[in-house]
Amino acid sequence: MISSITSNLPVFLIIIPLFLAFIIPTFARRLKLVEGLVISIEFIWLLGAVYLASIILKQSGQPIIYSMGGWQAPWGIELKIGSLSAFFMLVITGVSLPVAIFSKGNLVQEVGSKERASRFYVLLLLLGGAMAGMALTNDLFNTYVLVEVASISCCALVSIRKHPRASEAAFKYLILATLGSAFILGGIGYIFMLTGYLNMGFANIAMNQIWQNSPNAVWIAMTFVFIGFGVKAALFPLHVWLPDAHSNAPTPASAILSGLAVKGYILCYLKFMYDVFGPNLMMQFNMDKILVLAGMIAIIAGSLFALSQDELKRRLAYSTVAQIGYLFLGLGLMNQKGLTGMLFYLASHAVIKSALFLSAGSIITATGKKKISDLAGIGKKMPISMGVFTIASLGLIGIPLFSGFVGKWYLLLGSFESGNTLAAIIIILGSVLCAAYLLPIIRIAYFGEVSDDKVKDPALPQKIALLILALAVLVLGIIPGSVLELASRAAAELLMIQ
Amino acid sequence: MKILFEKLLINYPYTIAVLLFSIGALIVVNKPNLFKKLIGINIMESSIFIMFVGGGYIRGGAVPAIEGGKSHSLYINPLPSALMLTGIVVSVSVTAFALALIFRLYKSYGTVDSNKIVKMRNEAMGE
Repeated sequence: MISSITSNLPVFLIIIPLFLAFIIPTFARRLKLVEGLVISIEFIWLLGAVYLASIILKQSGQPIIYSMGGWQAPWGIELKIGSLSAFFMLVITGVSLPVAIFSKGNLVQEVGSKERASRFYVLLLLLGGAMAGMALTNDLFNTYVLVEVASISCCALVSIRKHPRASEAAFKYLILATLGSAFILGGIGYIFMLTGYLNMGFANIAMNQIWQNSPNAVWIAMTFVFIGFGVKAALFPLHVWLPDAHSNAPTPASAILSGLAVKGYILCYLKFMYDVFGPNLMMQFNMDKILVLAGMIAIIAGSLFALSQDELKRRLAYSTVAQIGYLFLGLGLMNQKGLTGMLFYLASHAVIKSALFLSAGSIITATGKKKISDLAGIGKKMPISMGVFTIASLGLIGIPLFSGFVGKWYLLLGSFESGNTLAAIIIILGSVLCAAYLLPIIRIAYFGEVSDDKVKDPALPQKIALLILALAVLVLGIIPGSVLELASRAAAELLMIQ
Repeated sequence: MKILFEKLLINYPYTIAVLLFSIGALIVVNKPNLFKKLIGINIMESSIFIMFVGGGYIRGGAVPAIEGGKSHSLYINPLPSALMLTGIVVSVSVTAFALALIFRLYKSYGTVDSNKIVKMRNEAMGE
């Protein structure tokens, strides 16, 4: 029994959240039961991901290949569990659990009714299952279907609050996300017709043999995939849906959307670029330079937009646009250090942005004020929420001993190694701009005049969730240890360095 | 130029797919009516389906099944058609969800024109 579970662990990691998502609606009114079940399943899920990561860390070399139903590739569908998938599973499960804990007992006042609150859990689990699938699958069409499942759940998460602005943001998001997936499917179509395979490994081999026959078609496939995932991952200037969607969703939903969902698409793009086209083709078609350039533009533009916002959640949403720029920049650096930095930054941004959105959300629900200028003196009344916000802000800016620093340091090393001094300057400039839009919030909160209204920190589950995330920011910054090791192995795996 | 046209004519499924894709994208970007945006999305997705199915089709190929012990020299590739069944299911669910959202927007704003909705929302925020 135990051995059959451990040997089929990858499948269980995808199926368990999906299965629970589909049985929750049968007892949707018993919210307490749903909450308990979701938190315990998320915890088991995290343990599974940790176990998977420990197996991967112990054995060096080839990734584990799991054939679904016993059919061998290229006829069957494969799951490939390498360092990259294990790393990403850790990120997904590690962020979902605090968000699920945060939602306990807190959602009803924000979304309206108990049934709506349990619908949130259904969507959270669907999104989690789809992202786990995106991390583990080795099949192009599977990736498309899972991307669609993820993006529909994201749109539904935005529209869960019955507010006209939320519906409007969700519709905009849905239309643009579907536009993106049409591009992705088109790209997959080109890859399939060029190579005749949907399995990433086989497609990669075939692609590298035949690309010289029809370079234009390869170029079109690359562009389609770039635009598609660019829209979905909110790469500037394709980010137009993000600020509305992320600032109108309920608090835990915006944490999961900004922290995780966007990263899922970046992971898929990473797999498409490195596992399907391969580093050699990326260089041939100058994709590395394009990605670095797009990343640099996104860092500067996103930060400037964030500076000009007075609404707290919108400022955080635009800050996500800037951080996505760092990830695309790291994707294009194409060396071991740059990719390690990019992956580590992805993990640390997932933790930091969830912490920021959750603490900002609890401040907004407690005070009812959305504007930054209204938050004077909040740090004295809500010490835990604002404390976590401060720790996460320092992490995002990249102060040493906080997790953002490690990622940014490796990105800097990577850009020096590839001889791109401009990228290094932009990385530092991005940090400065990040300080410029986050530190004023902290200054107002701690040194502003204290107003009279009585607000206090949220209840126990919310405090626990916030403290877990703040602790994660510090731990990843001080002792990155095995997470960094896993990231650097994943980078080596992507670049095919043995 | 003549060769280009010949190529476009011979590969007519792809030509149609590209045309439909552009038409769909144009509708999504240009039309303010939410229903029309949704129709545009559907046209775009259909164009991708045509591209896939066209890619699997071989002129003169037989149905990929051995019937009565007779085998053919050419078979149509059934995989893209099977994939597109899944694609159609995905596009139907997106459409259903989008229609529900349009219904909700119509109930709260009384219009399906996106320009008017933006205008009304900005006025509400200005107050």
